[in-house]
Amino acid sequence: MSFTTAEPSLLALPAAAAGSRRATLHALLHNRTAWIGGGVLLLIIFAAAFAPWIVPYDPYRVDPIVRLQPPSLAHLFGTDALGRDIFSRIVYGTRLFLLICAIAASIAASIGVTLGLLAGSGPAWLDMLIMRLIDVLLAFPYILLVLAVIAILGPSLWTAMVAVGIAGIPGYARLVRAEVLSVRSLEYVEAMRAAGAGVWRIRLGTILPNVVSPLIVYGTFATPLAVLAAAALSFLGLGAQPPAAEWGAMLVNARTLMFTAWWTVAAPGMAIFVAILSLNLLGNALRDVLDPRSR
Amino acid sequence: MLRRTLISLAPSLALGLVEAPARAADAGPTLTFRLGEDPETLYNVQSISLTVAEVLGDQILEGLVYLDRKGLPQPWLAQSWSVSDDQKEITFKLRPGVKFHDGTDFNADAVKFHFTAIQDPQNASPLLPLIGPLHALDVPDPLTVRFTFAKPFAPFFTNLSLAQLYFNSPTAVAKYGKTYGRHPVGTGPYRFVSWNPGAEIDLERNPDYHPQWRSDAENKGAPYAARIVLRVIEEDGVAAEALETGELTASNLTADIIPRFVHDPGYKVIINKNVTNLLFLEFNERRPTFQDFRFRQAMSYAINREAIVQASWSGYAAPALGPLAVGIPGYDAGVVAKYGMPYDPAKAKALLADAGWKPGPGGLLEKNGQKARFLIKSYAGFTAIDRALAVIQSNLKDLGVDATLQTSDWGVFYPSLLRDDWDMDLDRWTWPDGAVLTQLFRSPGHRNSTLPDPKVDSVLDRCNTLMEPTQRNVCLGEAQQVLLQAMTIVPILTNWTVIATQKNVLGYDLDFEGGLIPGDVHLAKT
Amino acid sequence: MSTYILRRLLLTVPVVIGILFTTFLIKAAIPSDAVVTMYQGQLSEQDASKAIAIMRHKYGLDRPWYMQFLSYTEGVLTGNLGQSIRTRQPVIKEIGYRYRNTLELTFAAFLVALTVGVVSGVVAAYFKDTWLDITSMTVSLFGISMPAFFFGLVLIMVVSVWLRWLPVIENGWQGLILPALTLGLIEAAPLARVARSSMVEALGRDYIRAARAKGMPESVVVLRHALPNALLSIVTLAGLQIGSLFGGAFIIEVIFSWHGIGELAVEAIQWRDFTITQGVILISATTYVLINLVVDILYTWIDPRIVVDKS
Repeated sequence: MSFTTAEPSLLALPAAAAGSRRATLHALLHNRTAWIGGGVLLLIIFAAAFAPWIVPYDPYRVDPIVRLQPPSLAHLFGTDALGRDIFSRIVYGTRLFLLICAIAASIAASIGVTLGLLAGSGPAWLDMLIMRLIDVLLAFPYILLVLAVIAILGPSLWTAMVAVGIAGIPGYARLVRAEVLSVRSLEYVEAMRAAGAGVWRIRLGTILPNVVSPLIVYGTFATPLAVLAAAALSFLGLGAQPPAAEWGAMLVNARTLMFTAWWTVAAPGMAIFVAILSLNLLGNALRDVLDPRSR
Repeated sequence: MLRRTLISLAPSLALGLVEAPARAADAGPTLTFRLGEDPETLYNVQSISLTVAEVLGDQILEGLVYLDRKGLPQPWLAQSWSVSDDQKEITFKLRPGVKFHDGTDFNADAVKFHFTAIQDPQNASPLLPLIGPLHALDVPDPLTVRFTFAKPFAPFFTNLSLAQLYFNSPTAVAKYGKTYGRHPVGTGPYRFVSWNPGAEIDLERNPDYHPQWRSDAENKGAPYAARIVLRVIEEDGVAAEALETGELTASNLTADIIPRFVHDPGYKVIINKNVTNLLFLEFNERRPTFQDFRFRQAMSYAINREAIVQASWSGYAAPALGPLAVGIPGYDAGVVAKYGMPYDPAKAKALLADAGWKPGPGGLLEKNGQKARFLIKSYAGFTAIDRALAVIQSNLKDLGVDATLQTSDWGVFYPSLLRDDWDMDLDRWTWPDGAVLTQLFRSPGHRNSTLPDPKVDSVLDRCNTLMEPTQRNVCLGEAQQVLLQAMTIVPILTNWTVIATQKNVLGYDLDFEGGLIPGDVHLAKT
Repeated sequence: MSTYILRRLLLTVPVVIGILFTTFLIKAAIPSDAVVTMYQGQLSEQDASKAIAIMRHKYGLDRPWYMQFLSYTEGVLTGNLGQSIRTRQPVIKEIGYRYRNTLELTFAAFLVALTVGVVSGVVAAYFKDTWLDITSMTVSLFGISMPAFFFGLVLIMVVSVWLRWLPVIENGWQGLILPALTLGLIEAAPLARVARSSMVEALGRDYIRAARAKGMPESVVVLRHALPNALLSIVTLAGLQIGSLFGGAFIIEVIFSWHGIGELAVEAIQWRDFTITQGVILISATTYVLINLVVDILYTWIDPRIVVDKS
C-alpha cells in the first residue's frame, strides 16, 4: 500500500559474477541491520519448525477455568478468552506467518515474474496485452483487489493468501519487465542473439540471473505488505477463521478486551510488528549491500 | 430468527443521555440509543430482522395487542376481540380516533392494508409464516376487522404482538412507494424525522400521541423525552468506549465488555433473563450415525455448557437443557429438569461405548471401521459462536471424537444445510412463541435433515391448533418432553440481555418480550 | 505533451472496461447472495423458492451472463448502478453519500502525511547522522511495519478513552482527526525516507556549498535552494501516495466507524450484497485510476522531462 513502484527502476544492476556474490555475502554479514532482521527471522523459522516441542500447552486446548489470566510463570503471555495459552498460540502463529509469506510471495512472484519476462522480452503485441492486464490489476487499490478476490472466493486463510498473492503480481511483473528491458539492450545479450542462442536460453540463462537481486530486495519489501494485508483480513473476519492461531485473527476481539486483558492484544500485535519489522530491516540491509547508491 | 439477533441481542436499544440544550418547542431530554446494525429498511413488511423490529416496534409503530407481564395478550389498538366457537374466526374491534403521524386515520382499512401487503407475492414478504393459514380478512365497518383461518392458528396472538404485524399509514405507503422504507409512518409515541444511512436515525416525540393504553407502562402521560437518536454502532468495543466517554451513556452489552460496567457504581446494569433465544446443536439425521439416539444423547452429556456460558457470554447466560427457551410461554422447568441431560463426560463415554464406538489408535473412536471424525458447521462473524465452537471441539476431543469446524456467512451457511455434506451444526434461534418448535423440528425439519418421528410430529401439530393459552402450554410441555426423550437437538444455552445505563437514567423498562417502553425513560433530577 | 495526455486518456478506456468486466465477474462468481439470505429459514421451501424466483427475476439474475453484462454497462453509463439487494435502495445513493467521506479522509490524511513526512525527512537530512536523524528514520521504519488496525486501536484507546481529547462516535470534523492521523502517519513513513534521501542529495550539491561560502543564512540555503530541488522526488512519491492513501482508507474506516465507501465495501462483502459490492469496486477503481491519471498529467506539467511511463 505504501510501497512505491518508483523504486524498482533504481535497482537496475549489471550481471553479478560469482566473485561479487561472495562480496555481497561478506558485506551482508557485516551489516548490523542485517543481523537484527535476519536474526529475528531465523528465530521465527526456528520457532515454526520446532513449535510442537517448544510450546508448554496445546494451543487449541480450551480451559475456561483459567480464561483471561494475566502473564505469569505458568502462562508466559497469559491466557485468552477461552483459557488457551497465548504464548503457545504465538509460537504456532509463526508457522502461519511463514506460510502466508511463502504462498503470497510464491503466487505473486511466479506469475509476476513470468508475465514480466514475457512482456519484456517477447513480441510487442504480447507486451501490450500483458501491460494492459497489469494495468487493470493496478486499477484496483491494493486492499480493494484483495477484498474483491475474497468476495469471490469466500473468506478463509487460504483465500486470503491467494488474494494477497494476486494483488502482488503487478509489482513483480513491472519490476521484472523494467529489468528485462534495461538488460536486453546490453552488448553481450546482443552478442548472444547474434550467435543464434534461443530466446528462452537468453531469458533464463542471462536475463533472469540479473533480475534475482532486485527481485529479492523487492520481495523483502512486498511480502510485509502482503502479510499486513492478510492480518488485516483476519482481523476483519475475512481471512483466517477461529480457532486458527494466526496473529491477525488473535486480534479480532482486541477492541473489547483491550481494557480488561491487555495481554491478549499486546502479544499478537507485537508479534506482527516484530516480524514485519525484521523483514523490513533485512530488506534495508539487502538493499544497502546490493545497491549502495540508493542509500 | 436470523442470526442478526446476536448483534441486537433482544433489545439492542439502550439509552444515552446527551446534554442537549432543550429546544424551545419541545422540552425534555434527548435520548441516544445504540443500534447494533443499520436496518436495511424501515418497512416492516420487507424484513424479519430484529433490528428493524426494534426501531419500529418500540417507537414508531403500534399493533392490535401487546403481551402483558404474564405473557397474555392485552388490548392496544384493538379495544376488544372475540374468537368464534370453531376457533377459526377472530373479530377485533378497534379503538376510535387513533391517528397516524401524518394525520390520517387508523382504521380497519389500515389493518387490512398491512395484511394484504404481506400476502402480495410481488412483495415477497418474509412475514408470510406469521399469518399462517389466513384465509380471509373482512372489514364489515371502519372499526371492525375479522380474520378467518383455514384451521385454528394458535400462535396468532403472539405474532400480532410483534413489530412485524404493526401498522403503517396506507396513505404514506402509497405516497412514498419504493422509498417508504426510508420514511416510516405509524401511530407510535415517536415519529420519524430523518435517517443518515449507516450512521443514525432521528426520532421526535409525537405531539398528538393518544393516551397510553398499555398497563405495563409507568408513564401514563406524554412521553418524557423530546427526541430519540439511534446511533448505529456495530462494534461492541466502540459502544463500550462511547459509554465511557458519555457519548452513549448506555448500551446493550455483550460478553467481553460486560465486566467493565457491571460492578462499576457509575452505571446501572439491567439484566433480562426472560429471553427467548436458544443456542443448540443439530444433527444431520440423513446420516446413520445420528439416527442413533444414544449418540445424540451422548452429545448432550458431552458438552460443557458452563464453559460456553463463561467463554461466550462472560457468565451472562444460562445453560439450556430443553428445546424451548426459558422466556417463551410454555417453558416447562419440570420437564427440563427431569429429561434434560447436563454435562457429564462419564455418561457420555458410556453411551458412546454402548452405541458401539471403541477407541482406536491415538484414542480416536471407531465403529465398524468408521472413524469418529465429524464436520460441525456454523455461521461466521460472532465471537460468541466462535468460542462456543471452540469449547465443543475441545469437549469432543476429550471423548475421542475429532470435530472439524467450518463457519461461513449466514447467507451461505444456512442454505448449505440443505445439502448432505455436514454432520452437525451449531445454530441459534430467537422466537417468542412455542410455534418455534414446529418451525424448526417438525419433520422434515427446517433444513430437511430431521427424520419423521410420529410422536414429535403429532404433538407439535396438536399444539398449534390449541387457541386457549393454558391448554396450549400443557401441550407444549408434552412437546418438550417428547423432543428431549428423542434428543432431536442438543440445547446448549440461552443468553441474557445485559444493558448498562448511566447512573441517572430512570424508568428504563423492558416489556414482556424484552422491548423498551421509551415513553417511560427520563433522567433523575441532579 | 498533449499527445501524451491524449494517449494516457485513451489508455484509460480499456482499463475502465477491464474494471467493469472484473466487477461484473464478481457477481457471477458469488455463490450466495443476500436475496437468499432474506428468505432461507423464514418460509417453507416452496414459498421460499417462489419468493426467490420473483426476486431473481426482478434483479435480472435469471438471464445469460453476457446479457447481464450489457445491461449492467448500459446502466452504469446512465448512472444506474442497480439496487442494493439488502436495502432495495439505489446503489448510487448508498455510495454517493459515503464517497464524500472517503475523499475527505483521503485528503486529510494526505495533508498529514505530506506535512509530517516532508518535515521529518528534511530535518533528518539536515541533521544527517545525528540522533535526530536516526530516531526519525527508525520511527519511520516502525511506521511501515506497524499494522494500521493495531495502531488505530491504540490511538483510540489513548486519545479518546484515556485522555478524553476526542469523541469516539462523532462524525463531524472531530471524528476525522484520529483516522486521518492514523492513516497519514503510517503513509508519512515512506515519504520521510524519500524526503530525507533527496534532501541529502540536494544538500550535497556544489551550488549549496557555494551559497554557504557566500555567507548566505542557513535558512535561506536550505529552504530556498536545497528544498525546491529535493521537492521533485518528494512530489513524485507524494502523487503516488494519494492513490495508495485512497486504498489504505478502507481498513481505517472500518476501525474508526468512519462511514465511507471502504466500510461499505467490507460490509457489503459480509452481506453478500453484490450490487453494492460491484458498485463500490467500480467507483473505487475508477476513482483510483482518475487520481493517478490526474497526478501523471500534473507531473508532465511540472516537469515536462518526466514522462511517467506506465505502459
